[in-house]
Amino acid sequence: MIEFLEAAIRIATPLMFAALGGILSERAGVFAVGLEGMMLMGAFGGVVGAWASGSAFVGVGLAILCGAAIGLVVAIVTVAYRADNMVTGLTANILAAGLTSYLMRVLSGGGRPIAIHLTPLPPWPFPGLADIPVVGPLLFALPPLTYLAIVGCLVLAFFLGRTQAGLTLRATGESPETVLASGAEPFRVRMAAVVACGAVAGIGGAVLSLQQVGTFTDGMTGGRGYLALASLIVARWNPFGAAIACLAFGAAEAFELRMQSFGLPVSSYIVQMAPYLIALIVLALLGRASRMPAAIGQPLPRDQ
Amino acid sequence: MTEATPPELRTAWPRAASLRFVVAEGIGLRIVVAVVLSLICAAALVALSGHNPLAAFAALAMGAAGSPHQLGVALNRATPYLLAGSGVAFCFRAGVINIGAEGQIALGGLGAAAVALHWPSFAPWFIAPASLIGAAALGALWSAIAAAIHLGRRVHEVLATLLLNFIGVLLVQQALAGPLGQAGAGFLQSPIMPPSAWLWKLPSLDAQVGFVIALVAAAALSITLWRTPFGFAIRVAGRSRRAAAYAGFSMSGLTWAAMLLSGALAGLAGGVEVLGIHHRLIEGFSLGFGFKAVTVALLGAVEPLAVAPAALFVGLLEAGSLSMQRQIGVPSALVVVIEGLTMLFILAATVRRA
Repeated sequence: MIEFLEAAIRIATPLMFAALGGILSERAGVFAVGLEGMMLMGAFGGVVGAWASGSAFVGVGLAILCGAAIGLVVAIVTVAYRADNMVTGLTANILAAGLTSYLMRVLSGGGRPIAIHLTPLPPWPFPGLADIPVVGPLLFALPPLTYLAIVGCLVLAFFLGRTQAGLTLRATGESPETVLASGAEPFRVRMAAVVACGAVAGIGGAVLSLQQVGTFTDGMTGGRGYLALASLIVARWNPFGAAIACLAFGAAEAFELRMQSFGLPVSSYIVQMAPYLIALIVLALLGRASRMPAAIGQPLPRDQ
Repeated sequence: MTEATPPELRTAWPRAASLRFVVAEGIGLRIVVAVVLSLICAAALVALSGHNPLAAFAALAMGAAGSPHQLGVALNRATPYLLAGSGVAFCFRAGVINIGAEGQIALGGLGAAAVALHWPSFAPWFIAPASLIGAAALGALWSAIAAAIHLGRRVHEVLATLLLNFIGVLLVQQALAGPLGQAGAGFLQSPIMPPSAWLWKLPSLDAQVGFVIALVAAAALSITLWRTPFGFAIRVAGRSRRAAAYAGFSMSGLTWAAMLLSGALAGLAGGVEVLGIHHRLIEGFSLGFGFKAVTVALLGAVEPLAVAPAALFVGLLEAGSLSMQRQIGVPSALVVVIEGLTMLFILAATVRRA
């Protein structure tokens, strides 16, 4: 059971980063449909950086840059050029899929993707604390980036709820006119929020490639960005809620991986559907209650 | 010259007016600039891989349209994008953002395969049309679920359609692992369909008749949009929901109609792909089609028929990508980069400066 929960936390970590990034972007008023592409670029940057330098830190750094680059593209097209958020996000995902696949092959100098195999990042147990039964392995013997996700969740909740900058960001998603009248610049807030979204989602991709798999394969995010998008909306743009939703999705996937050994007579495809079905049912049950940021998806007023 | 056209003629010929809008606003020119910019970026990427960009583009062009066979392959590649994309464009025009084509195409393939494999007692001439009807019906059913959740429970249509994509694709895999699968194939696929279910090929081209179906569908949508009261209601609703409500149009009725129509067309795209290309249902046969159709549809937000050149552009690129990889050694993934960049440049270039 503890081993199952550990697996759920591990699987949920990339989703948590992507969801945190998505909250930044959507609270500022830009739909985060490009999370998938940001994660994919992050996964690519993480593996290439760690392979070229031999250091996982450099890998995470490059992942942040790569994710932020896709974020910048989305920010320029949606915020500066006022294009549709949804279509821009989907297009950015296509661009990221093509770019990562192309660059992996260019790096090898031939038609095949370059083979990079890294040892996945091992857990960092806290001496002493990790030996506590139940709580120890679940909270104090996690891989490094999972600690970072938990810290990131706390930091984002504090930033959004308790700081002036967080208030300005939330106001930009609700009523950019008010932000403009108060003397701040909604344009800069949105640009910064979407780029930051890319950077954080990029770490999520690096978790997947550096901490879980140890290599990069084409399209390795496999819809996780969209799942993160669903979880942050189910959680109504709240960082802690989003983390819990991601954990639920992680648990569903961990369950699917273990199902064969349990010998249950359920098809694995049906179990794989569970996260999406759960998200859809929860959204339908919330119904009108899931109020979006009021100005989400709307271009900024012209007169600035 | 155009300034002299009296206003009443403009309302009588809305299509001509929209064409003039394209010319007057310079949208055509902007799209050309967007394509050129993305090709410049792609050339830089080719140079990065140590190859000659001009040689790569030449191989790409020859591979795409160098022979009737290659051109046929390109038309076949363009077909699902045109079918699904024109439906999605119709939804955009109604102000409904349907990004569920991915799942609707997969379900369409399932519908076509189920009819073709399980009702072989139909008269031979009827199997292919019946399978296409099955494809359209399942695609429409999948979009109907999204529409019901969206309208009934006020869930944003983007989320409802997005989540149903994943469920739909997994449902097709489940069907292939169970009732529709070929036992012992070692791969998730259905048995091959009876040849009477295969779509015909066009004479002297290696394209299948699906491309003609797609062109007819796009033209029919365009006429519906510009020449019928229903199309007028759709356009009003897309521009202003309040104006539509004031005019007495039912917003939920229009949303239902647009969703069902685009779901049926996406389903048809899946059916045409299965009946015309693979002659069997294969796992992942439509991977990425739906998401790409949404970006292709973006051009059709002005006009469903305008989806045709966009779909053709993507089809030609993808058909030529393999010979570029074989002859020059530039990875075929380059065309996906070109597609993404072109669409992003077009998005940035064609936003109305209202």
